[in-house]
Amino acid sequence: MPLPRQPTELGRFGRAPYIRRRLPADIRRKLPRPPVNLRTREYAPCRLGDHYHSTLADNLMYMNYTHTVESSLPPKPDREIRLRWDPANPYSKYRKNEPVGGKRFAEMATEPNTPANIIRLEAVQMHIMIKEAITSRMHLLGVIAALRALSGETEAGGGALAKGVKGVEIVRGKKQVGGWIRSGVPVGAKVTLKGSAMYDLIACLTEFVLPRLREFHGIPMAAPVSGPNAYLPASSNAVKPSDVTGVVSFGLPPEAMSYWPQIEVNQDAYPRMYGMHLHFITNAVGVGAQERARALVSGFQIPFLRKS
Amino acid sequence: MSSKTLVSLCRKNSSATPRRTLATVSPSIPVSHQKPKIKPTLLTSIILNRSPILTPTPTPFERAYYSYQARLRRALSNPFPYDFYFKQGSILETRFTLEERRRERISFGRQFGIADDLDAEKAAANKAAAEQLAEQEGERDELMPRVHPSDEARDYKSLDRKGRRNLYLLLEAKEGVWRFPQGDVKKGELLHQSAQRDLLAECGERMDTWIVSRNPVGHYKLPKKSSTAKDEIAFFYKAHILAGQVQPNLETVKDFAWLTKQEIESRVPQHYWFGVKDILSDH
Repeated sequence: MPLPRQPTELGRFGRAPYIRRRLPADIRRKLPRPPVNLRTREYAPCRLGDHYHSTLADNLMYMNYTHTVESSLPPKPDREIRLRWDPANPYSKYRKNEPVGGKRFAEMATEPNTPANIIRLEAVQMHIMIKEAITSRMHLLGVIAALRALSGETEAGGGALAKGVKGVEIVRGKKQVGGWIRSGVPVGAKVTLKGSAMYDLIACLTEFVLPRLREFHGIPMAAPVSGPNAYLPASSNAVKPSDVTGVVSFGLPPEAMSYWPQIEVNQDAYPRMYGMHLHFITNAVGVGAQERARALVSGFQIPFLRKS
Repeated sequence: MSSKTLVSLCRKNSSATPRRTLATVSPSIPVSHQKPKIKPTLLTSIILNRSPILTPTPTPFERAYYSYQARLRRALSNPFPYDFYFKQGSILETRFTLEERRRERISFGRQFGIADDLDAEKAAANKAAAEQLAEQEGERDELMPRVHPSDEARDYKSLDRKGRRNLYLLLEAKEGVWRFPQGDVKKGELLHQSAQRDLLAECGERMDTWIVSRNPVGHYKLPKKSSTAKDEIAFFYKAHILAGQVQPNLETVKDFAWLTKQEIESRVPQHYWFGVKDILSDH
């Protein structure tokens, strides 16, 4: 049996190994089925990923660090924000252990800042809703094509997808709202990106799209809830759940679609340009998560603008 | 016994002093006659950083890994939709096809990426047209080298040196000791304001900098010059240089250099090195 030839350099293959047993055939695709679940990993160095590890992570750890003075006394326990579920307690024994929600959710304490839990970007999600799709599903085709071109994600392209990445997905209505939407009706599409694909998308956004937008000064942020620029009195305590989930979201107008280089090369192939929502999902949760998430996202050169 | 005594004591003194209620009564605190502790002198020091401007060079293992994954990805990818992106028979399509065949050959070997059913004359014409198009678009420009001339010239003052590493600004003081930019804290001044002022005072105003946080990133207790001298504590602030260059104040500073962590170790005194080494990045 001939041995596989050794490659002459690191970047090349040698001869393919000898196949001793025939692979089982996939009847539908008429192709041999590989014996393992093939999944492609990172295939090139990632510029923005390296920027995060060499520069941003250090700065974010330093900026978000809260110094506590060492004391001989035991640390003060966190405030109990509601009754803990206790099977010994006859009141809570047959009740559901509901997750903390609503206003209490916004008061969740943050974990202490350590090198292991520095804020990081987990995923970027692009989401396009098209209202006309309620009456005719044909309108979704352009949306799906645009998201496929933008993200490079196709059905089963490049092997099995990474965990949490599902390619372009159809988004269906959740609730029945009279005159607007019905539950279960497809109204848009979304795509979730992770790893180097996510960083490539951010690079495209900050180098091709945002600089060419007209009248763009930054992503507008709502005025702070408390402090000198507060839009509500401090007593109102209007903390929204979005303030503590560590997700930075903003929208792009339909004009921005033509600035993406993936769309720009053959803009005429799409029925029209679509506006979209971008969600930057970070691992930050709890009090101040929004500020920390914005600090991270602005580190990738996405500017924010405070509405006064 | 004690409460009784206390009450009786209060009663006894009530004639001399106005009577105090229980909430405000307090045992007299003995006045200490110790000398007040001498407060240390505070200094602020700025660790001015130039972030990496080049990506790190992949190791041989990383290169082999990326190469393998890229081939795997190419083998598993869906076919490219030529009709969607190119007008049929256009020069752009011809060029892309030629490039794609070349990539196939590089990836999988000589038996891949071969043009089928095309005569030699047509193939040569296609190649010439694609090359002409590439030349028109200026795609023949060469990539910049990853080693800058300042690396070869050992120019420690250049901000372009060691593009893959974090660089830090080090100043040579009049006494001949290398240190980070530093200065005194004025009375009534906050530490972060002092850091900003001291940086401009020693390094000039011809640069854009950003101090990362109002909190110090570390501190260092300077060795005492004499047994009677006051303690001196330096608080470090991290800053980034965004544009411009340092213009050192020649009254206090002889020289400056942009150095990596390893280069700093060989220049600064050992005591100083142990104070700052954990603040600096290994990248």
